[in-house]
Amino acid sequence: MIDLTPLLLRWPFLANALLVTIELSLSSMVVGLAIGIVVGTLRTYGGRVIDAVFGFYVDSMRSVPLLVVLVWTVFAFPLVFGHAIGTLTAGIIGLGIHLGAYVAETIRAGLTSVRKGQMQAARALGMSRFEAIRKIILPQALVRMLPSLGSLLTFAIKDSAVASVIAVPELMRQSQVVAGQTYHFKEIYTSAMIAYFLLCYPVARGVDRIYRRVAHLGSS
Amino acid sequence: MSAPLVSPPFLRVGAEAAPILTFEKVSKRYGNLLALSEVSFQINRGEVVCLIGPSGSGKSTLLRCANALEMLDGGRVTFEGADVHGAGDARRVRQRMGMVFQNFELFPHLTVLRNITIGPTTVLRLDTAAADARARALLHKVGLSDKVGQHPAALSGGQQQRVAIARALAMEPALMLFDEPTSALDPETIGEVLSVMKALADEGMTMVVVTHEMDFAKRVADWIVVFDQGRVIEQGPPKQIFEAPTVPRTREFLSHLGWHGESIAEISAGE
Amino acid sequence: MTFHWHVVWDNLDRFATGAVLTVELTVLTMALSIPGGLLLAFLRLSPFGPVRVATTAFVELFRSTPLILQIYWVYYVLPTFTEIQFPAFETAIIGLVCNVSSYNSETFRAGIVSIRTGQWNAGLAVGMTKAQVMGRIVLPQAAMRVLPALATTWVSLFKDTSLVSVINVEELSYQSLKIRTETFTILEVLTAMATIYWLMGYPQAKLVDWVHRRYKAAE
Repeated sequence: MIDLTPLLLRWPFLANALLVTIELSLSSMVVGLAIGIVVGTLRTYGGRVIDAVFGFYVDSMRSVPLLVVLVWTVFAFPLVFGHAIGTLTAGIIGLGIHLGAYVAETIRAGLTSVRKGQMQAARALGMSRFEAIRKIILPQALVRMLPSLGSLLTFAIKDSAVASVIAVPELMRQSQVVAGQTYHFKEIYTSAMIAYFLLCYPVARGVDRIYRRVAHLGSS
Repeated sequence: MSAPLVSPPFLRVGAEAAPILTFEKVSKRYGNLLALSEVSFQINRGEVVCLIGPSGSGKSTLLRCANALEMLDGGRVTFEGADVHGAGDARRVRQRMGMVFQNFELFPHLTVLRNITIGPTTVLRLDTAAADARARALLHKVGLSDKVGQHPAALSGGQQQRVAIARALAMEPALMLFDEPTSALDPETIGEVLSVMKALADEGMTMVVVTHEMDFAKRVADWIVVFDQGRVIEQGPPKQIFEAPTVPRTREFLSHLGWHGESIAEISAGE
Repeated sequence: MTFHWHVVWDNLDRFATGAVLTVELTVLTMALSIPGGLLLAFLRLSPFGPVRVATTAFVELFRSTPLILQIYWVYYVLPTFTEIQFPAFETAIIGLVCNVSSYNSETFRAGIVSIRTGQWNAGLAVGMTKAQVMGRIVLPQAAMRVLPALATTWVSLFKDTSLVSVINVEELSYQSLKIRTETFTILEVLTAMATIYWLMGYPQAKLVDWVHRRYKAAE
């Protein structure tokens, strides 16, 4: 019934794909965090116009499927910048831009959840708004946002599989390739499910654990 | 009805010293609500001035106008001879004034020591060693030397407020603003905070205290300013305010504090 | 470079068909996933150990693996177990419903648990049975609490329908990409596809914001 031979024969190929998945997830998370922290902070403290402009970016990423963003990145990039883009890079950029919107919303929620009194106390000491945000508000907010950011990391891992449609050689894509060649769909796809589960589940639980230990650093 | 606003200088302790903080016809509105209406009084160097009155009468708002955390809609606030809301940097004013909040507002992600040193290192550009030494001395002063490495979450309310006072003192301010410092505390911890404040007053610190602790005001204040609905209705030495208030509303406010066995009918009749 | 926008206009009917199917998939999935999620939530709160464990395993599996893989799995692997090969649309629905029900079950479970025990105690103290407290006091409050999360899940679902294009369900993404391969007009078709999704999705995102504002959990 269950024939694991193709799996055992092709495991280096699939293991490499798993590494690509991990690289894709982490890189897109980094890009997403970079975009999200900037956008989220600007939206919170930058005034109405900036809030509206970046709000458009955020709401657009909420409205348009990731699939569309990825396909767009792969095809629009060469047209705009003149030269072709590697699929992995396209994947990282597309995923990062999409994720960045969600990170921005998380950051915004985190920053506004810090008590108003904290900003007042910081300014009462004579700090500028920028110093207060950097040293007092943002650190507390990041602690509070840990669970949400953790769940965004699991989203990054799951969304990396969508990159298969633009032929990024990550786990989903390579599983398709092997399954297509060997017709052992059951074994290949099930192991892929297990692999993703083993990536996501510990991340979610791990973030929970870490948060419980540092939660008091964020409660004002 | 208008109240006697000009404080007769010859009745005030420390009147020979120059006024350090002056409010002249300060007004502030929030939308349609007039939070402060032509508030005028002064605070002299070395004095302890207590602001009392019903909740929502504008006392806390006035305090935040003093260190430019809030803007004015009318009038002037003068500190050490300069207009607080003038063209200069408000941060300079805030460095010279210390503020203690009702909800302590300690920075939860920092240790107690770092809470106290962050002001001096970030704003006064003190080097770490000097800031540390200053912080430890202040912690000793408020009786919390053993809490140096802990985080605020591990401290009781009273302890947190004492750290907050040390944090404000670390900036070596000329004036301390207290916004209902004991209103969020359990009764048993109020005493430890008030005793720190009394010690501070005895050392000659100029203090403006918004409070409901009438006992503290009676014992420690040099001057009382009574607020109601955004206006100053009366001001004078504690003896006058608490024993012989000249304004009926003051009398009314002071007599209605707490519950002494009145029935609900009696209270409703009095409203 | 020349743009061939006429490709978009010529194929407007196919875009429209795709869009309609996208909406159908979204509505049908959510309609099935709300009772689905409730069922899973109650099973997870069941006093029977094995039931709890099995349900938790199911829910965690669908929440910790990519939807696109789940779609492939249901399409290629499920038939080998059940001997039935469902057509693409039904397969897509099965995959989507399992996925969204799992997310919903967490939302419902968190909503029920979030009602303070004080509310339970107050109901029981007046003399109500557990069922009455659940039905009259806890669930109505929980319903208000979960509305924002459900609204967010709805919009995610709307976007995720694009993934069933990989098993050739002819919703908007499938139609768009097919037109692209037929006419070789990449930018025009992609722009049309993105714009249609945006036109449908943006109002939904704003609606979700409204729901969040209106039903903010107030203790």
